[in-house]
Amino acid sequence: MKKLSIALVMGISIFFAACEKSDSIGPNDKNDLSMYFENMVGTEPITLGTKTYTSGAGEDFTITTLNYFISNISIKKRDGTELKFADQYFLVKETDENSKTITLKDVPAGDYSSISFMVGVDSAKSVSDVSQRTGVLDPASYGTDNMYWSWNSGYIFFKMEGTSTKSTGAGNGYKLHIGGFGGMSAKTANNLRTITLPFGTDAAQVRKNIAPEIHLGIDVLKVFGSNVKIADKNEIMNPTLGIPVADNYKNMFDVEHIHNDAM
Amino acid sequence: MKKRIGIVLGLTLGLWSCSEKIETEPEAVEKPLFEIPSTFPTPTYNMASNPITEDGFVLGKKIFFDGKLSRDGTISCAECHNQVYAFTHHGHAISHGLDGLVGIRNAPTLVNLAWQNTFFWDGGVFDLDLFSLAPIENHVEMDEKIGNVLDKLRNDKDYPGLFKKAFGTEDITTERFLKSLSQFMLTLISANSRYDKYIAGKEPFTSEETEGLRLFKEKGCVTCHPEPLFTDHSFKSNGLPTDFYRNFIDYGRFRITELDVDKNKFKVPSLRNIEYTFPYMHDGRFNGLDEVLDHYSDGMADLENLDPIFKKTTKIGVALTAKEKSQIIAFLKTLTDEGFLKDKRFAAP
Repeated sequence: MKKLSIALVMGISIFFAACEKSDSIGPNDKNDLSMYFENMVGTEPITLGTKTYTSGAGEDFTITTLNYFISNISIKKRDGTELKFADQYFLVKETDENSKTITLKDVPAGDYSSISFMVGVDSAKSVSDVSQRTGVLDPASYGTDNMYWSWNSGYIFFKMEGTSTKSTGAGNGYKLHIGGFGGMSAKTANNLRTITLPFGTDAAQVRKNIAPEIHLGIDVLKVFGSNVKIADKNEIMNPTLGIPVADNYKNMFDVEHIHNDAM
Repeated sequence: MKKRIGIVLGLTLGLWSCSEKIETEPEAVEKPLFEIPSTFPTPTYNMASNPITEDGFVLGKKIFFDGKLSRDGTISCAECHNQVYAFTHHGHAISHGLDGLVGIRNAPTLVNLAWQNTFFWDGGVFDLDLFSLAPIENHVEMDEKIGNVLDKLRNDKDYPGLFKKAFGTEDITTERFLKSLSQFMLTLISANSRYDKYIAGKEPFTSEETEGLRLFKEKGCVTCHPEPLFTDHSFKSNGLPTDFYRNFIDYGRFRITELDVDKNKFKVPSLRNIEYTFPYMHDGRFNGLDEVLDHYSDGMADLENLDPIFKKTTKIGVALTAKEKSQIIAFLKTLTDEGFLKDKRFAAP
């Protein structure tokens, strides 16, 4: 009985989906498209502070802080049509559940097959007039959880902190502060990374009545890989040292699944 | 010999009293807050992005002198940037911040900032508007969070009204806060020294000063310190022996660019008002101009990236006799702008 009903429901949804694909996209149909960033260690959700994990290099670590900027999001249809969301900046913070959902407004209806975004704040914005620095880019908005280098003008793109018995720092702490947009008055290290994630056979189907949610799994074990060792450096706070970390974390994002639920 | 000094002193006093008179006169005339001196180039600061107004200047000045910018309310910008000493920290090689902590570098003069394209000895900040965040948030300086500063100003009885006057509404934002501070700092223009009056044909130089200016050019000082700003805004290594005393090697510009070619380089400072900006160099190691010139003639270390200008002969440095040094110093003192140092508009509110 159960099996039958599932089959029925599936059949109906396939029927509906097929219908919508061919007929029901109006030229002015729009909806939201959201991304959910689920931060994990391996396959388990992060427990801040208390839980100890093991990195690829065999080092123990806890996580007390995990923040990163997402910007320059674009989505692509299978035919190559690209839609860019310029001048939208988001700060994902593990301590703030709301910050893990990024909602893109007024996305034209269609089937989107890949998403691309930058981790960090692009160079144009990083050198912009202070009037352009509002919302999550306002240096006054960070409280004690700072995401801006005032001594070397630029945003901290990615910040991860915690403790490890391998750290010789104060309180066994480690700090990974990754920034560096390429420099204004001189060419410096560039730790901006762009991540492109194709959905495979799946699609984010934006419809008048469907606001898809792309569920991303972020595996912070990738931040360390096997090459970044807390025993070597328990504080990374300048752009050059941050390069291997940025090269690692660009691989930490994965599309888990996409919800295309009708409203 | 004694007689000659007496005459020189007499002459100087004579000139001094003369120039005093000249300086007191223009006070009656309302000077514009920001005016590009006729000998200066176009400012590098985007003046259109932050038009200077009387109300913006008044607000910026109040903020500049306000201890609320520091965590415990004790230190204002003016603490380390005192007008009487051309906005430097008088007599301090390096400055102390909260809790008796000290910084690593000498507080630079605040002068002609509209023409400056990078800030700090290492040029880590590229926009005057973004500058003030650094001393506020540095834990060895004001050790405060910019968000807290804005909250303190919001809860003050005067600031909301002053922001309204300057920007139209009582909203206290990061942008308005930083731009009003910039407005005040941009007005700190020094272009009316005896040197400027000499160039304009309004005042004579003594023969010693004339000779000092000639040597300043001939000996190559002018290469990095060109008129009229007396800095080319570049980063150079001038062979300061590494200061092991503090058990800390300051690589200067390298800290920002992380490029080996920038090791030991520091920003070339303006020489305007140099008579009052002592102690000198990025770590304030020299107290007098004589020590500075002794360094250039005999004290240089052949550090990585030492500027080639100092390596023209087998002996590194600049060949200078004692007499030449005193002539150059005489010239350097003509860069003192008494009107700037005593301008009441810049004094504590």
